[in-house]
Amino acid sequence: MRPAVAAMLSRGTLAASRLRLALTLACIALGVALAGAVHTVHSSALTEIDRAARALAGAADLEVRGPRSGFDDALFASVAARAGVAAASPIVEVEAARPDGDSIRLLGIDSFRAIALQPAFVANAASTSAAGVAALLDPDAVWLSPVAAARLGAKAGSTLALVTGAGVKHFRVAGLLPQLHAGGELAVMDIAAAQSYFGRIGRLSRIDLRLAPRVDLSTFRAALESSLPPGVVVSQAASISGRAAEITRAYRVNLDALSMVALATGAFLVFSTLALQAARRRQEFALLRALGVTRRELAALLAFEGALIGAVGAIIGTGVGLAGSRALLERSGANLRAGYFGGVGTFAPDAWGLAGIALLGIAMSVAGSLWVARAVARIAVAEALRDRAVDLPRVAGASPWIALAAFALGVPLLFLRPVAGLPIGGYVAIALWLAAAVAIVAPLCRALLGRFSPTGAVPSLALAQVRHLPGHLTASVAGIVVSAALCVAMAIMVFSFRVTLEEWLAGVVGADLYVRSSASGDGAAFSEEDQRRIAALPGVAAVEPLRYDRLAIGQSAAPLSLVARPIDARILAGFQAEPRDMPPADGSLPVWISEAARDLHGWRTNDRVTLPIAGRAVDARVAGVIRDYARTWGAVLIRTEDYRRLTGDTQANDLAIHLRPGADATQAQAAIRAAVPRFEALALEDAGEIRRRSLAIFDRSFAVTYALEAIAILIGLAGVTSSFAALAWSRRREFGVLRFLGLTRREILAMLAVEGAAAGALGALIGLAAGAAIGAVLVQVVNRESFHWSLELNWPVTALAALVFGIVAACALGARTSAAFAVGREAILAVKDDA
Amino acid sequence: MLRLAGVAKSFAPGARLLDAVDLEVAGGEWVAIVGESGSGKSTLLNVVAGLDRPDAGDVLLDGRALDYGDDDALSLWRRREVGFVFQAFHLLPYLSVAENVALPLALLGVARAERQERASQALEPVGLAGFGDRRPSTLSGGEMQRAAIARALIHRPRLVLADEPTGNLDAANAGGVLDCLAAAVRHAGAAALMVTHSPVAAARADRVLRLADGKLSA
Repeated sequence: MRPAVAAMLSRGTLAASRLRLALTLACIALGVALAGAVHTVHSSALTEIDRAARALAGAADLEVRGPRSGFDDALFASVAARAGVAAASPIVEVEAARPDGDSIRLLGIDSFRAIALQPAFVANAASTSAAGVAALLDPDAVWLSPVAAARLGAKAGSTLALVTGAGVKHFRVAGLLPQLHAGGELAVMDIAAAQSYFGRIGRLSRIDLRLAPRVDLSTFRAALESSLPPGVVVSQAASISGRAAEITRAYRVNLDALSMVALATGAFLVFSTLALQAARRRQEFALLRALGVTRRELAALLAFEGALIGAVGAIIGTGVGLAGSRALLERSGANLRAGYFGGVGTFAPDAWGLAGIALLGIAMSVAGSLWVARAVARIAVAEALRDRAVDLPRVAGASPWIALAAFALGVPLLFLRPVAGLPIGGYVAIALWLAAAVAIVAPLCRALLGRFSPTGAVPSLALAQVRHLPGHLTASVAGIVVSAALCVAMAIMVFSFRVTLEEWLAGVVGADLYVRSSASGDGAAFSEEDQRRIAALPGVAAVEPLRYDRLAIGQSAAPLSLVARPIDARILAGFQAEPRDMPPADGSLPVWISEAARDLHGWRTNDRVTLPIAGRAVDARVAGVIRDYARTWGAVLIRTEDYRRLTGDTQANDLAIHLRPGADATQAQAAIRAAVPRFEALALEDAGEIRRRSLAIFDRSFAVTYALEAIAILIGLAGVTSSFAALAWSRRREFGVLRFLGLTRREILAMLAVEGAAAGALGALIGLAAGAAIGAVLVQVVNRESFHWSLELNWPVTALAALVFGIVAACALGARTSAAFAVGREAILAVKDDA
Repeated sequence: MLRLAGVAKSFAPGARLLDAVDLEVAGGEWVAIVGESGSGKSTLLNVVAGLDRPDAGDVLLDGRALDYGDDDALSLWRRREVGFVFQAFHLLPYLSVAENVALPLALLGVARAERQERASQALEPVGLAGFGDRRPSTLSGGEMQRAAIARALIHRPRLVLADEPTGNLDAANAGGVLDCLAAAVRHAGAAALMVTHSPVAAARADRVLRLADGKLSA
């Protein structure tokens, strides 16, 4: 069949209800828009990071980097003097806290060296005047990138307040660095000033290197690596973008997969619409078959219509998604509240990714239409040409064994190892179980319908009509099953996570007060004297110092957090450590690793590991594995006394304060502020505030998930309502007959409500069962393999019950309301309608 | 041109609708099959059209037997060789009259310009010249059936099958449609087989056969 002829015959689809077609297009568009928006936000974030990394890397070939606390700046001389190095630039990098709780990335540079590698860092790079040089070395001057200046409302001559070790200091904004436009939000100052003000004296964060011409990069790198102290690694310049892509992959893929939910549900609506239209166009299809159209050509016609719907929906959805993601980026950045990306706002859509999503939308639409075509191919042509049946043609082989087979196939996949850190086996199992849930609808409907024999005219008629239209019932119920299952699964996953997090917070946030030198950023640390002064306060029973660092472990993309703190059985219980007991003193250095560290580095309890701490390779023994939901890419806990003995570092980033019984918390806070007056931006929170704030962050980070759940349900209900409306119109003649026989309009609407409720109940219950199974997979497999978190499976019984009840009520109401127009005068007139 | 040889069809054991039916219809000949409701007239038509498989026997057109095992081949055969006239007309409501009439040509891959030309020509003999741009819903029952007759013959089929062509028409319209059908069939030289329960319609055919107890008789 020529495409032009197919297009002509497809007018049948358009000639049918335009409203329903518009609804179908809207659902496909919504699915594509959501998936496209999420993808665009992520691609924009990664592009921004890449651009910034390249802008900041300048002409550097390699970068030498160490832990967050930095490495000995004496290393610079030996690295810079190596044969093959054409230029070397030392950098101190801190996340400088601001008094308002915000922070800004700050680079301390040696201008004279940076000029050779990153001239963009140096204002008036061509200036050689004394005044120009003096400005570059001014310890109280900072330069801002254009993005930073715009956000802070700063310009040359204004001031920028930052929290330093000596308290809040107001730096003079000496100017902007226009060449750092792609560098993100950044402040640059003299390296000596940065070391002095931000507690980095004698420390560097990074050394950027440009190699001499014809020096082999790999050879040089290998030689340099072998000479570096533990914890200091060399990587290619601007490799942070690759690292960012790698360590955020699981998060991005999971969110992409979730956003496909709406797309899949929208595609199901296409199936439902085309199936219903197939029922209405039954005689038309029979005519075409009689005129010589083959089954394959008919399937191609339906696929063409599906592709047309999918294409139009995808185009609209792509446009809406782009507009939506642009607005989202401008308003709140690429964070999506989950903390994986900073607040970058560059709009950089990934054309190939968006094309893939659009094609996926079209493909799902075509898949839905081909499924309808299978049933249409089975139309008995001669019979269809004569009768006026309105039911959907049924597909052969709707056997419960197919559902059981699909379910069984998914089980072994749950035990597959992750592929590139992604739970592919889990995803495929979920898809199979969803298919199983849809496949069980028809046989279950047949089985259940046969069991009921309600009393009363209205319920009996409703059941009789539903029995007469098994194809329609199956399509309606299947649509609800898909959206309900996905909604239930995500609800179980989020609830399980929330309850697990709540219990964990109750265990690890055990002190009465928590004190931080600033609300964010690398603020000044509490000295040993500060700690003693606070511990001596009347209301304070005990002070636990908490010290953090971030370790670079070889070429691993994921930074490993080091947490030095007092550790005892109570703390281990709070972290739900395995084993719970304190290890016996056997001369080894005990450390506890998080589940993420265990999975990412392959460490196990009792393993001997080497950790780069304070520039030394420290041998330690893994005493146990803890749960840690705060540090995504792995953490190592070490006892404070062990850390201090190894490093000589007695400072603390945070203090956990236990108050004496009966002590007034407000007075204690005031006393603490008075005890350490140099910390002008001191942040004090009690345990309750921390737990509330943590859970609020959790809720915000799942806002996208909640939105997707709601959209999945709405699309499912829209599909059911739409199909009931169309079916009611097709059945208006029989409604008319019932009116002639004496049923009132209200009784017919009640009958339709019963039918809708029956479809809703069936779909919701099957969806509940499928969703529970899928939710368990999300908790036990997907989350565990993607994010290395153990979660306890918890059931949001009240919410699920409300969901089931809501679906049933919405279906009943939708069926009743959407059919109201078909049971009035039109129904009576339709009895005499010969068309 | 059309030959049925020993065609048999049952829908249940012991319930034989067609019992070794033999029939020959020459080109240009119009044969009417009459019988009681449930006698198997429509079943006979479905078997001839390749829409139903006989339990035994063959259906041959110009000496070539239909292969009931190949659905695609049957579809293509209907597309080229068969024209249908239905009781319910079955014009597609979203196509114009001309597009409906030209539909068989579209399925045969005839170019659009030629389809439009031939549709215009096909509408004249059935008295619908100038109706090409109208929608079927604006036509009377008789007009719709005449459009369906034009559609059935536009691609010059060898065989025309009519299933109760006047079943939904009043007497006046029925007469006009039958005149139309007779002229069109003779002009096209096609073998025409019509099933009907109307004696008036049957009387217009060249030959009337009665189907009873599975057997055809004159």
